[in-house]
Amino acid sequence: MTATIGIDIGGTKIAAAVVDEHGAIVEKTRTPTTASDPDAIIEATAELARELGSRHEVSAVGVACAAFIDRERSTIRFAPNISWRDTPVKKLLEDRIEMPVVIENDANAAAWGEFLYGPAHDRDDMVLITVGTGVGGGVVIDGQLLRGAFGIGAELGHVRMVPDGLLCGCGSRGCLEQYASGNALVREARELVRSSPTMARELVRRCGGDAEKLTGPDVTEAALAGDEPAVELLATLGGWIGQGAVSITAVLDPSMYVIGGGVVTAGDLLLEPASRAYHRGLGGRGFRPEATWALASLGNDAGVIGAAALARDGNA
Amino acid sequence: MSASYAIGIDIGGTKVLGGLVDEGGRIVHRARRDTPDRSKSPRVVEDTIVSVVDELRAHAADPGGHVSGEVSAVGIGAAGFVGADMATVVFAPHLSWRNEPLRDALTHRVGLPIVVDNDANAAAWAEWRFGAARGETHLVMITLGTGIGGGLLIDGALHRGKFGIAAEFGHMQVVPDGHRCECGNRGCWEQYASGNALVREARSMIAAQSPVAADLAVRAQEAGGLTGPLITEAAKAGDPTARELLAEVGHWLGVGIANIAAALDPGRFVIGGGVSAAGELLIEPARDTFRRKLTGRGYRPEALVVAAALGNDAGLIGAADLARSTTR
Repeated sequence: MTATIGIDIGGTKIAAAVVDEHGAIVEKTRTPTTASDPDAIIEATAELARELGSRHEVSAVGVACAAFIDRERSTIRFAPNISWRDTPVKKLLEDRIEMPVVIENDANAAAWGEFLYGPAHDRDDMVLITVGTGVGGGVVIDGQLLRGAFGIGAELGHVRMVPDGLLCGCGSRGCLEQYASGNALVREARELVRSSPTMARELVRRCGGDAEKLTGPDVTEAALAGDEPAVELLATLGGWIGQGAVSITAVLDPSMYVIGGGVVTAGDLLLEPASRAYHRGLGGRGFRPEATWALASLGNDAGVIGAAALARDGNA
Repeated sequence: MSASYAIGIDIGGTKVLGGLVDEGGRIVHRARRDTPDRSKSPRVVEDTIVSVVDELRAHAADPGGHVSGEVSAVGIGAAGFVGADMATVVFAPHLSWRNEPLRDALTHRVGLPIVVDNDANAAAWAEWRFGAARGETHLVMITLGTGIGGGLLIDGALHRGKFGIAAEFGHMQVVPDGHRCECGNRGCWEQYASGNALVREARSMIAAQSPVAADLAVRAQEAGGLTGPLITEAAKAGDPTARELLAEVGHWLGVGIANIAAALDPGRFVIGGGVSAAGELLIEPARDTFRRKLTGRGYRPEALVVAAALGNDAGLIGAADLARSTTR
C-alpha cells in the first residue's frame, strides 16, 4: 500500500504532508494562504501536491478545509475564510494533479485522524470538539463520519447555547463557538486585563500591559504556570464545552468526547472542567452509562493525517 | 392466502396498546388494556403484554377470521431509555423502572422473537416506512407530548447511540439556568417546547388573571381544568392568546430544530405527538424560527419541517415493523 498526501487549507496557511498507511508523517511542508484570491489557493494546493508527489510514491490526495461541502464531496458550497462559493474544488484539483482527490470539512478530517490514530482508535464512535479560532466538530458513528443529508453535519460550534447571546459569524446568536473558542478565551482574557488589571497582573505582565497583544497561548501558559485567573478562564471555556456536550449527548449518545485544537496544551486544566460540566448536566445522570473524555493526540497534524487517510480509503 | 403479521405493543403510563400489523404497515386488529396504578410493576405490565399478544395471536389464528395469518415477531415501544441490546429498559421515569430485562422476561412466555425499543424510535421508523418521511434517509422525528421524544434515522438506519440513549432531544439545554427539568438539569428543551410547557404558560396567564386569557379561563372552567388539547381547540377557534401560546411553543420548537440541524444536518424533520394536532399553528412558527436561526443559512440546503402522518398509531406500527425487519 502506498502513501497518500493530506492537505489542510487554513485561513493563513496551507499545510501539506505525505502520510504513510499507519498515519505517520513522512514529509511535511506549507505555504501561506492568499485568502482573497480563490484561484490562487487552488493553484497553491495543486503545486504542493505536485511537489510532494514528485518526491514520494503517492496514490491520492485528501484536502481538508473549513467549509460547507456538498454530500457528494465534490463542491464547496461556502468557505468562511476563502471566497469559494459553489466551487467544484475536487474537479479543479483533479484537473491539475492527475490523482484522485478527496475533499472534506477540516474538523471532520481531524476527527477521522483522531478516530484512526488518536484516543478513539479502539472504538467505533467518537465526537471531536476542536477549539481553535472557532469551534469545529466531527462525529464518527459506527466507524463512519457523520455528514448529514446535505453534507453539512457536525457543525457543533453552532449549537446554540445562549438565547439572544453573542452574535456569531454564522449569522445566529449564542452559538457554542462564541463561548468555547480560542477567540472567546482571548476576548474574555483581554476584558479581564482591562477591567481588573490587579487581579490579572500575570496576564498584564505577559502582554506588556497592552490587552490587544494578549494571545491564547499567553493565557494557556499562564494557567500552566499556576496563575489563578488564567486557570479560571480555561475552566469557564471547558465548562461551556461540557454543557455543549450535554446537548450533543441528548442527540447522539456517544461513548467518547475528544477535545482538540491548540488549546489542548492546557491539558487537564481544560479537560477536567469540561468533563465535570458534562457529568453534572447530563440528563438522567446516574441512570445511564456516561461517555469518556480525552484530549486529542495528533495536535495540529490531525487535519492532514485525517485527510490523507480519507484519500487512502477513498472517503470513508 | 395466509397473511404475515407482526404485533406492535405500546406501553404507556396507564395503558398497554397492541396491534396486529401487516406488511404494509396497516393495523388490522387492535387490543387495549388499562393498567391501573400507572403500570409501575414490571410484572403487571409483562402479564398485560402477554395477554394482549395472546388475544392478537388468537385473532390471527382464527381460520374463519378475515385477517387469518401468521405472526412472526413482537415489537415493544416504551417511553424511556432502552439499552443498545434492544432488550432492556434501562430507565423509564414514568414507570419508575430501572434495568428491567423486558425482552428476556417475555421471550419464554410469548414464544416469538421480541424487540424492545424506545417509543419515539418506533414512531420514527413508522413515519419513515409508511408515513411523512418515506424516501428520506436522514430523518429526525420529534414527538411533542407531555415531554419531548425523539427518533433519529441516519443513512436509512435508526441511530440509537452507543448506549441506546440517543435522540433524547428533549434534554438538549436551550436556556442556561432555565426551568428545572425532571432529568436533573435545567433549561432542557422539553421545558419550553412540550405540551407541559404549553399548559404551564397558559396556566400562569390565567392565574395572573390576565384579560387576554379570559377566553381560555372560561374554557378551562367549563371543562373542569386546562389541558393541551383545550388550548389547541381554542386556537383553532381563533382565540388569539391560544394561538400566541402555540406560536411560542412553535418558536422554541424551531430553536431546537436549528440546533439539531447544526449537529446532524438531516433532510427532514417530522413533528408528531399530541401537540402536533395543532398543525400549522405550531409548525409554521417553528419553520420560521428554524429558518432564522439556522447556522450558515442561505449557503446550504434546508431541511423540510412537516407534520407526522400516522398520529398515535406510529409507535405501534413502528414497533411491529421494527420487530419484523430486525428478526427476519
